[in-house]
Amino acid sequence: MKYAIETFDLTKMYNNDFLAVDALNMRVRDKTIFGFLGPNGAGKTTTIKMLTCLILPTSGTAKVSGHDVLKNPNEVRQKIGMVPQLVSLYGDLTVKENVHLCADFYGLPEDLKISRADELMEMVDIKYAENKLVKQLSGGMKQKASVVASLIHQPEILFLDEPTIGLDPTTKRVLWDLVEELNSNGHTIILCSHDMYEVELLCDDVGIVSQGKLAAFDTPQGLKDTMIKEIKEENSRVDPNVSEALEKILEETDPDDKKAVEYITGNMGNNNLNLKELSVMISNKNEEMLNTLNNLSIVHDVVEHASGRITMDIEDSDESVSEVISDIIEHGGNITSIATKDPSLEDVFVRVTSKKKQEAEEGVDDGGN
Amino acid sequence: MMVETKKIMWMFKKDLLVLWRHPPRLISILLFPIIMITLFGYGMGGTLENIPVVVVEQSHGQVTDATLSAIKGMSLYDVKDIITDPDKGKEMVQNGQVKAAIILPANYDNMSSTQPKSVVVDVDSSDQMASSAVVPATQALFNQISNNIGLQKLDTMNLTPSGASASNIQVQSNQVAAAPQGINFQNVMDSINLQINKMYGDIKYIDFLVPAVIGMTVLFGCMFGMGDALAGERERGELARLFMTPTSIATVVGGKIISKLSIEIVRALILIGAAIILFGIAIKGSMILTLLVLILGALCFVGFGVMISARVSTQEDYMQMVMPITMPMMFVSGVFYPIETMPWIFQKLAYIFPLTYVNDALRAVMLKGVGVGAIWIDIAVLLGFTALFFALGVRGFNRDI
Repeated sequence: MKYAIETFDLTKMYNNDFLAVDALNMRVRDKTIFGFLGPNGAGKTTTIKMLTCLILPTSGTAKVSGHDVLKNPNEVRQKIGMVPQLVSLYGDLTVKENVHLCADFYGLPEDLKISRADELMEMVDIKYAENKLVKQLSGGMKQKASVVASLIHQPEILFLDEPTIGLDPTTKRVLWDLVEELNSNGHTIILCSHDMYEVELLCDDVGIVSQGKLAAFDTPQGLKDTMIKEIKEENSRVDPNVSEALEKILEETDPDDKKAVEYITGNMGNNNLNLKELSVMISNKNEEMLNTLNNLSIVHDVVEHASGRITMDIEDSDESVSEVISDIIEHGGNITSIATKDPSLEDVFVRVTSKKKQEAEEGVDDGGN
Repeated sequence: MMVETKKIMWMFKKDLLVLWRHPPRLISILLFPIIMITLFGYGMGGTLENIPVVVVEQSHGQVTDATLSAIKGMSLYDVKDIITDPDKGKEMVQNGQVKAAIILPANYDNMSSTQPKSVVVDVDSSDQMASSAVVPATQALFNQISNNIGLQKLDTMNLTPSGASASNIQVQSNQVAAAPQGINFQNVMDSINLQINKMYGDIKYIDFLVPAVIGMTVLFGCMFGMGDALAGERERGELARLFMTPTSIATVVGGKIISKLSIEIVRALILIGAAIILFGIAIKGSMILTLLVLILGALCFVGFGVMISARVSTQEDYMQMVMPITMPMMFVSGVFYPIETMPWIFQKLAYIFPLTYVNDALRAVMLKGVGVGAIWIDIAVLLGFTALFFALGVRGFNRDI
């Protein structure tokens, strides 16, 4: 299999005391859309900077489009393009001037420069604004212009860093379509984003970095499946007798003592699974109905919203939704709408990064002890 | 090579386009030199002390000792040396070692002669501040000495006017009213003939100021301009796009330098033109040499800007680093006052600032009309500074954003 990006123990240490990227090993399949995720300060940006030859690794290396970032940085630069946030166009130049400037910096012949710039501007539908100053453009237009400038040399790999941040939903969709189109044209896309919906929608593979390490890598569905499997495994490890005893202790515990409640519930293996969210509108809801819902063993965290909607977390099984709905109807509830939300990539992200953070903190504590 | 030229031209073109599209910035560039020269031309003044002088004594005696003692006693002078060769004294002025050479004649201690003693003061008139202080003070001093010598002579002749004595320096020659026949009192009292030799002619303060203000304007233009050109573009992510292309750091920085230099040369030309039109300034030396010194100075300051830019990631940081250097540089590099008249610590400090050498070279070319041979030290030091700044700057520059 051909890989667009391969990293080999890629490491970056700042000032000899801050390990931003810790021996990262990762492979991105060629011609795919790869979601590169991580919380702020996880080492994502530093990794991107190393892959785009803006900074040198402290140790290890990486191959981008088959070229080593240490040995052939200029070949790497010729094969990549990048769209903000790290990179921006000159606001006081027009779209066309910016694009032509980039073309000349990539050494494109004059005729190719003009034809390709026109072609790309047509493709992203910005040709009509080619003589406008970039600073006069809207956010979405700027992103489109930036995409054109980044594609002028026909890079094999395009890095998109938060490409839709601050954009309205319509413009977001236009850019998403563009990303898919570019990918179908053979470009490998590296998408850095905090918008999990965007990543889930577009990406073939997802890598999550945390504490400078690759904490998870799979397809979006693969990551969700793994998370569900892990949670089920964790819960099955709890002895039912212990769980029952803890439940009794919990009943006798002062509900205001949140620390104690948290500790007990944590050990009960319940963990508020949050595997599926059920949302219902009941036109004739009453106190008794809510109490009934709260008493169901498969239901957790029943919340009545100001809009009248009731949301609750339910266990992720085939029967759980129908069981809750049947129960409401049995108690005379008139359901006007139902919606469910499955575990999302965001849940995976939160779980993976929290776990890594916790492990790192425990590591620090152990070290301290 | 063709591609590199195109890239450099793009850097140049881009900066010009940006300038054209920012009318306030463009107006500021054009008006700032005129405002500077007008403000400083009309607004400056001050008191000078410790002006370096050399005294040439060609005889020994009571009068010479008394004269030396009087010169040393004045805070205006800082007597650097007492020599015997008048030519060497003149040479020291020409070399810039001292601002004036006070040359006492060979007959200075001869009290029996009735002929006036010719004291010559060779003064470096290119330093208008120093010469405007030295000339009247020296005239007053030798007027007093002349009177004292006259009174001593009259004492010897027993012809002292009433109320006056040899020690009374207030005596005026017209007080000697009743002159006995056969004696020319005027000749006796005017026993010293002071000859002021302004080596570079009459030079006004504005003439003295213009070269330094040009140097200072170039300094500020380059230093602050580089803040936007490198640190600002780095901060906005514009530089990152260029650094992501297969282009060397030297090419990007080279393009920036060329565009900045071109703009600064235009500013300098405007400044010189404004000084000529508004204040009638004349450039005695070569215009080309003047421009070459300016270009070298600009290159040096741009190098300084590159060196600082290499170490900061924002324009704000850049300004914070540059301000504490540029402001003292402006005040101690002899823009407004001769360096020699400043406190010793400032004098030492002045020699580590490139602006000092730019000012010195520009004044020498513009006011004294000298050639490269007379300013080679300034040029060598500036070249050294430039090489050092660029070496540190390009070495420390990275593509990180």
